[in-house]
Amino acid sequence: SPTGDSWGIFTFLCAALCNLPALPALNCSEELGAGQSIQQTYDLTRYLEHQLRTLAGTYLNYLGPPFNEPDFNPPRLARAERVPSATVDLDLWRGLTDNARLAANYRAYSRLLCYLRVLDGQVGMAELRHRLAHFCASLQGLVLSIGGVMSSLGYPLPTGPAGTPAPPGAATAPNDFLKKMDDFWLLKELQTWLWRSAKDFNRLKKKVPPAVVTLRLEARGF
Amino acid sequence: PLSVSPAADPAVISPQDPTLLIGSSLVATCTVSPDFPLKAEDLYWTLNGRRLPAASYAALGPSTLSVALARLNGSRQQSGDNLVCHSRDGGILAGSCLYVGLPPEKPVNITCWSKNMKDLTCKWAPGTEGETFLHTNYTLKYKRRWYGQDNTCQEYHTAGTYSCHIPKDLALFTPYEIWVEASNRLGVAVSDVVMLDILDVVTTDPPSDVHVSRVGDLEDQLSVRWSSPPALKDFLFQAKYQIQYRVEDSSEWKVGGHRRCRGTARGGRGPRRSHLLPLQVVDDVGNQTSCRLAGLRPGTVYFVQVRCNPFSIYGSKKAGIWSDWSNPTAASTPRSERVAGGCDPKGGEQNTTLRRELKQFFGWVKKHAYGCSNLGIKLYDQWRVWLQKSHKTRNQVGKEP
Repeated sequence: SPTGDSWGIFTFLCAALCNLPALPALNCSEELGAGQSIQQTYDLTRYLEHQLRTLAGTYLNYLGPPFNEPDFNPPRLARAERVPSATVDLDLWRGLTDNARLAANYRAYSRLLCYLRVLDGQVGMAELRHRLAHFCASLQGLVLSIGGVMSSLGYPLPTGPAGTPAPPGAATAPNDFLKKMDDFWLLKELQTWLWRSAKDFNRLKKKVPPAVVTLRLEARGF
Repeated sequence: PLSVSPAADPAVISPQDPTLLIGSSLVATCTVSPDFPLKAEDLYWTLNGRRLPAASYAALGPSTLSVALARLNGSRQQSGDNLVCHSRDGGILAGSCLYVGLPPEKPVNITCWSKNMKDLTCKWAPGTEGETFLHTNYTLKYKRRWYGQDNTCQEYHTAGTYSCHIPKDLALFTPYEIWVEASNRLGVAVSDVVMLDILDVVTTDPPSDVHVSRVGDLEDQLSVRWSSPPALKDFLFQAKYQIQYRVEDSSEWKVGGHRRCRGTARGGRGPRRSHLLPLQVVDDVGNQTSCRLAGLRPGTVYFVQVRCNPFSIYGSKKAGIWSDWSNPTAASTPRSERVAGGCDPKGGEQNTTLRRELKQFFGWVKKHAYGCSNLGIKLYDQWRVWLQKSHKTRNQVGKEP
């Protein structure tokens, strides 16, 4: 399966990283870690984007029309604001520090993961549950990966109840149709977050010095 | 740009998320909240994205519109049909999920098996030929007969959608009652109770290390050897085996075996190994772990599989359940060097080794011998033709004594 191959590549990347030789000419080992860490996170974001396309398609078909119609754009009721919204002013977003942006990503995906897990518990179809479970596992990986990037850059991880949102029971939809709307918006926001995160990590990758290139040059210098 | 609506829901639908039997009718109403400046004539309905005809609408008040749905079909998706109340511009005001279907039918065909007497896996069939259109939950329950409480199986879908696995805490020599409960929004159905003892339904892993090899130069035989499954050593039971084999380009398996693969053959042929005919009907090869297949085609690749059945468990007379077939193992029978057809002369044979040699001989004779110019390969061919003709005549006349 294609998803299996992607994970194979990802695992290989991790294994290769662990076996990088430590050369004496190497300085800024933390930056080397950060660079590779950011690349991994970027790759994982793209992988999740790809996975979400299939998952969202299947889930929206499960919800039935009009949810799976391409031009479906329901009103965003106030109660649905609990899902972290990805659409903010783009200039505002770019104006944030790297730390703030990373922290926002970390918090958002932690909460999105929780909502997805609740979704998983309620779906009746076995095949869909299986896909959701797989996606949640990958999303968990992304949260950890972002945490890894923050650590390697020396930023503190967001504390407090970021990882655990308000208990889902408190804000459950009052009827099945509104719940379907909530599900729709959850998937939509997830899509936008992943799309923007990919750009964020790509930009961040360029900011961190290209340590791999440095490695090669210094090796030749021996 | 997002359209953020005010805190209150724009409208309310009644009934909200009802459950209905297929074929029933429904009248639903949409009442706009007083905060909204919408009237009944500004509204319309859709069901699963398709607009419902205005002929089925009725205004029940200044801001309440109803719709009549008759003879409903089963729900299009298990999450419920989407009945939506819209404002004139298409905006969604409220929605209700309709669950239309049938109550479940009794699950049927419960079959169970135990792997090496350690666990129990059961599967069943839903019992409805069509669909219920509603999400139906299945629960497998079991209890020891005459006493004990009901237990619920936890590990589902281990052997297909309608299956469950009980991994431990099962007693042997004890009759168990097993049944399946199916439930959905419209009701519950319970299957008939199946009674069994774990020892009645024992199966095991297929035999391991299946090796197929030639028997010397014999063209029509292959020798099959295998190991008994390791679990057999632990228990007081025996195993009987079955072999099936097929040629490489055929999809038809032949089952073979003989009661005593290594013993004396039937019919008093003496202490030779008993051979197997490829077209023999299902039989078992006893509890030996080797067997010979005979009557095979020379120079052919064969695929062989073996399976195993535990029996005489703790001395009982009942047989167990056949294991899966082992992975196919392949081997080929030798092809002999002899040309098929034997010694009978054939008119059309132009390429025999003998002829080639003769040709060379005659060529040499022409060079080195004088007076034998009439000898040649053509003479030899004529002789062969004459030989064939005389054979035919002889056969037509009758057999020589």
